[in-house]
Amino acid sequence: MENPELVEKSGKRVVLLGNEAIARGAAEAGMGLCACYPGTPSSEVGLSLADMAKKVGFYFEWSTNEKVAAEVAAAASFSGVKSMTAMKHFGLNVASDSFLPLAYTGVRGGLVAVVADDPLGHSSAQSEQDTRFYARMGNFPVLEPANAQECKDFTIKAFELSKRYEIPVILRTTTMVSHSIGTVKLGRIRKPVTKGRFVKDPSRYNNLRPNLQNLHYKVLDKMAKLEGEGAKLDRVEGPTNAKIGIIANGVSYNYVKESGARGARIAKLNMTNPISREFISRFLKGLKTAIVVEELEPFIESFVREVALEANPGVKVHGKDVFPRVGEFSPEIVEAGLARLKVPGVRPKDFRKHDSDMKKIKLPARKPVFCPGCPHQFTFKAVKNAMGKDTVWSGDIGCYSIGIFEPYNMIDWVISMGASQGMAHGIKKVSNQKVVAFIGDSTFFHAGMSGLANIIYNKSDPLIIVMDNSITAMTGHQPHPGTGFNAMWEQTTPIRIEDVVKALGVKHVAVINPMNQKSMEAKVREFSRKKGPAVIVSRCMCQLLRKRLIRAGMITKEGKLKSKRKPVRHSGLTGGRESHSG
Amino acid sequence: MGDDVDEFNALLTGVGGEGVLLTSVVISRAANIEGHEVRGTQLHGLAQRGGSIPTHVRFGRHVRSPVIRRGDADLLMALEPLESARYAYFASKGKTNIVIDDYQVMPAYAKSVGQKYPSMDRIAGMLKPFAKSMTIIPASNITSKELGNPVFGNMMCVGAAISMGFLPLKKGSIEKAIRQTVPRGMKENLKAFRMGLDYRG
Repeated sequence: MENPELVEKSGKRVVLLGNEAIARGAAEAGMGLCACYPGTPSSEVGLSLADMAKKVGFYFEWSTNEKVAAEVAAAASFSGVKSMTAMKHFGLNVASDSFLPLAYTGVRGGLVAVVADDPLGHSSAQSEQDTRFYARMGNFPVLEPANAQECKDFTIKAFELSKRYEIPVILRTTTMVSHSIGTVKLGRIRKPVTKGRFVKDPSRYNNLRPNLQNLHYKVLDKMAKLEGEGAKLDRVEGPTNAKIGIIANGVSYNYVKESGARGARIAKLNMTNPISREFISRFLKGLKTAIVVEELEPFIESFVREVALEANPGVKVHGKDVFPRVGEFSPEIVEAGLARLKVPGVRPKDFRKHDSDMKKIKLPARKPVFCPGCPHQFTFKAVKNAMGKDTVWSGDIGCYSIGIFEPYNMIDWVISMGASQGMAHGIKKVSNQKVVAFIGDSTFFHAGMSGLANIIYNKSDPLIIVMDNSITAMTGHQPHPGTGFNAMWEQTTPIRIEDVVKALGVKHVAVINPMNQKSMEAKVREFSRKKGPAVIVSRCMCQLLRKRLIRAGMITKEGKLKSKRKPVRHSGLTGGRESHSG
Repeated sequence: MGDDVDEFNALLTGVGGEGVLLTSVVISRAANIEGHEVRGTQLHGLAQRGGSIPTHVRFGRHVRSPVIRRGDADLLMALEPLESARYAYFASKGKTNIVIDDYQVMPAYAKSVGQKYPSMDRIAGMLKPFAKSMTIIPASNITSKELGNPVFGNMMCVGAAISMGFLPLKKGSIEKAIRQTVPRGMKENLKAFRMGLDYRG
């Protein structure tokens, strides 16, 4: 067990990471099944649950992608089992095709989807998207915890609401909630019910018209009722006769609390979809000024403006006029916004000297680099030597995305999981440029195979390099279909990428260890001249994983699997996890 | 228990692999053992790989937010000298005691483009406007010699911070937290911690 406090006794006070607290909450709620694909800032939810699975008795799997994970969890919930899935914000893009219909069909056992947004992009490249718009589009209730204790408590609440209203509930966090630590008072872990039974029910699951419209009415009705639940969950503090009111959600609430604001009424919104119209209406009564403090999009703000028109047309509503829509909030940003609106008690100190002294500090930067011995750097070197700088480099998502930086500059774009394939094909269709597509092993199983099938079917010939380090490395060493074992530490038949590629019809396929620079370079040269698509599987285990597996006695120094392997955790790149084991 | 501190802010920094996060787990668990309400951050981003790691640990009655405000750190503990000055934003002259392990890790990229590592004097000069006090300890070098591994420098720094009165936690709570957190290498970590308690510059 990586963090023994995850399964500590009821009543104990421990310090947990937000994501760990979510995992603990799932166990206290009696969750029976969880399926995830890792994605930071959500990764430790799955990592913790994978750790706890055998001990607590629920089922856990790393699925091949978020869409599959959502389907697995949905079907378990259809069968009456409390189930969960966890993903980063972009994971919901992948899962959405299967997730959105679930609001209409509803679920039976309870289904909670943890979705972690990443304002500022601490560990995300693509965008600063705001998950709450999915919730509005698809009609899902959203709970937003502000600290680790609430991460646990709201997970339990989410399961309760999901089961009672038979609708999937989104537990939305942001990086500063998922990756913040806090004191958590533990409750009792409930014995999970892991077996259920699917009961056929066309009135529920037949979503072709005319029943489609019945289901649509049904979900709108559920959402209307859930507004009442929101009103019960949301909190108000401060004097009832205040003229200034502040409405905040998630981590922003903490910044408001520490801003020194006095005399204002503060509403902490715990359910941000649907927002209770009655709650906001009551809150706005008597106010002269209402200030909405939320990161990213003016989601709550626009609703508050709408309600204000009827409830209190005289109130002046502020939000994105004083707070940024871009990046992540800090205590200073919230303080500055509140000070601009002259909220009593908020008096930012004079930091002009502090700031000018800061400007004098010049230090050598620590840019993201490959870990010592990382095989990816050798792949990049060999490919660049063979192909030349003017090649178009179609990038993908994984540790190798670091190739976007100096001295490699060998990722021309990072679009989404698996996009290296379709994008390489698109360039080939309109240009005679040389194109190389880089994709990782886990990314290949996630969303690369369909893009590769398209390359073959629609006839183009990029060179594809599968950078196979035998694990999902970036998010903390999760196993995948190619690794030969699963999240529950059962042995599996590894799916070999070269077999898949050949089965899809690629004629030129080679497997090479990138540490052998010469043969890698030669093969890249040879394959780049071939007609038709060519695939090189550049295979060498992540060196951090290798060290860890040797230390754990699971493999020999030569990399051979030992027959008697003890089930130990080997999550790792994410330092926090590693640190727990020393 | 736990209501004797209003707000204490520790910023722990260093480079991936030095045990910054381990240090933050030990301190936050020790604070929890003493009954304090704890908050803080453990960010994992791209910066993790050989990168710079800042972690916030906060405890006390008034603590809500996971992050320290500008200039509000009571303790800035850096396991690597560059990583002390890099986070001067959180420190200030009126408040912050700074503890630095002088064990240098040259940034790989900076090295490849011929940049030089600034002298300890220069780093100390940059930090001076942000420091109530500054203590530079050759912790990793000492543990490397005495315990065979520079990685225990972190626990020695924690010990030194406690003995100098820069970290309002009891010796026994830290020891208990070390036992809980690092069952493997516990003996060396405890030894390093005690060496820090006894350290006189």
